[in-house]
Amino acid sequence: MPRLLVAADEEILAGEHLTILEAAGFHLINAGSLKAAMSAILEDPPDLLLLARGFAAGGDEKILAAARSSLRRTSMPVILLAPDDEIVKIDWAQCRIDELITLPVSPGELMSRIKLAMARMNRVFDNNPLSRLPGNTSIIQAIQTRLDSGDEFAVCYLDIDNFKPYNDRYGFTRGDEVILMVARLLINGVDEGIEHNGFIGHVGGDDFVFIVSRDNCPNICEKIINNFSMVRNMFLSEEDLEAGGYQCKDRQDRETFYELLSISIAVVPVAANRFSHYGEVSSAATQLKHHVKEMDGSNFIIDRRNGYRP
Amino acid sequence: MKEEKREAFRKALREIKNLPTLPGIVNKLSRMAEDPETTTEQMGKVIARDHILAVKLLRLVNSAFYGFPQRISSIDSAIILLGFNVIKGLIISASIFEFMEEQDVELWEHSLACAVAASVLAKRIGVKDPEEVSTAGLIHDIGKVAIKMELPREYEQISLMVAEQGISRYLAEHEVLGLHHAEAGGWLTKSWNLPAKLVEPVSCHHDPRLAENEQITSAIVHFADLIVRGMGYGHGDDVWVGPLSQRAWRYMGLAPSDLDQVLDEIDEKLWEVKGFSLEVMNEPAPETETD
Repeated sequence: MPRLLVAADEEILAGEHLTILEAAGFHLINAGSLKAAMSAILEDPPDLLLLARGFAAGGDEKILAAARSSLRRTSMPVILLAPDDEIVKIDWAQCRIDELITLPVSPGELMSRIKLAMARMNRVFDNNPLSRLPGNTSIIQAIQTRLDSGDEFAVCYLDIDNFKPYNDRYGFTRGDEVILMVARLLINGVDEGIEHNGFIGHVGGDDFVFIVSRDNCPNICEKIINNFSMVRNMFLSEEDLEAGGYQCKDRQDRETFYELLSISIAVVPVAANRFSHYGEVSSAATQLKHHVKEMDGSNFIIDRRNGYRP
Repeated sequence: MKEEKREAFRKALREIKNLPTLPGIVNKLSRMAEDPETTTEQMGKVIARDHILAVKLLRLVNSAFYGFPQRISSIDSAIILLGFNVIKGLIISASIFEFMEEQDVELWEHSLACAVAASVLAKRIGVKDPEEVSTAGLIHDIGKVAIKMELPREYEQISLMVAEQGISRYLAEHEVLGLHHAEAGGWLTKSWNLPAKLVEPVSCHHDPRLAENEQITSAIVHFADLIVRGMGYGHGDDVWVGPLSQRAWRYMGLAPSDLDQVLDEIDEKLWEVKGFSLEVMNEPAPETETD
């Protein structure tokens, strides 16, 4: 039974709307205040959010922001309800919703649009099942769209060093926790880097890609690395922390000493006309990654080849 | 009879959603959240000074939704993982005291003072993660808040008993409830999926002998609790400073001569607590009602 959170400052849906939704198998949760809506989103997240425009003091944006960053951000469809005469005022580039319903609306249309939003969400098969971040198809698209637009930006390829031995030593469940941890650091690092056009994708395993502006890039990479070194210790045993690593068999079955978890970021800045195809960006990154992986601990390096000046 | 009561209380604890926070703290944080210059770290520093919000934050990050069950014991790490938008949501959804009493403020001050003292002791003794010990100190009395909110009648009864018979609160709790606030706090933090590193010091802070794995942290929180009580950061009606556990003292490995320095340092830090407390009490209410 999908759980539908109805966040509305005043009663905008009539009894018949609610009846038809309940009859269609939705479990309705009502949040009549900003506080109630926030608490539901954070502590007991629904499967869908129906947000009615009109919360005082920027409440709408606050609810949207919480819904977008509370969980794995793409997983919860958000449907905005707004009066017909107000929708032209909304800045759609900034309003991250999945479906719009204008008021007044008939009960039948309301139900259909909600079901459509859910179905559409399920079609987005590209998302990584663990982090719920966009996968390869979306990553390629994100890079190519930006290349085509002629904008300048930086594509950052991140992976976790010594992740395989970590999995061997701590188990896959713990490995998944580390992947989720890195995903959260990226989401928060990019969002808080005041990036309006940021993108975060999950290639798979311990490989991530994020796209930010060239100017913000060094700060964001630095912040992500600092945050990683701070949080990392929560995911390591005291014994290993003390020893600064652990003995583990390598791929050739030889006992090897591995350092503790760290991250490497290879940054490919894209200036106008430097690349035309996403494949060129990723092959530049592959060479760069080789270098950054050879360095000790967590690092990022920015590609400065091909006559590129930052 | 007592077993039944314990079971009923345990059940009530499982239902707890929102413990109340001091309005000054929430107002201060709301104001900060509206300021575009505020960083997540700055908000974190304030949250780390409130036992209720700190526990709420740790509960959130250790919940199944975020995928880090019983993993995150540090407030700084929790803040990094949750991010600015979630922290803002947490503040908006925080509930504040409808009727704030003197005791509520005192308990908050006591908790913060205990966190400060635990941190000084942890650094002095040289434990690996002083921040974690400080967090355990901050939330050690969370069971008291829960008893007051969930069992208001019994809470009154306990207070009355303390006043009339001149016994310690801890004993009175046992008499009335069949359990004490440390045990209640242990249940609560455990049911909220907090790491065992924090649960044990909370449940064992009155009797560190009970600690199975976190002996040092439990001993430090126990001692910090006594010190700040002795220094006047107690809670209202409870005039007794409990006995110091011999074993806790041995675990910490402090010499009596170390104490002078430690106490001086704690005393100095407690002035900052007083200052922050005054600041919070004078924090104006927001101009526009956001609710």
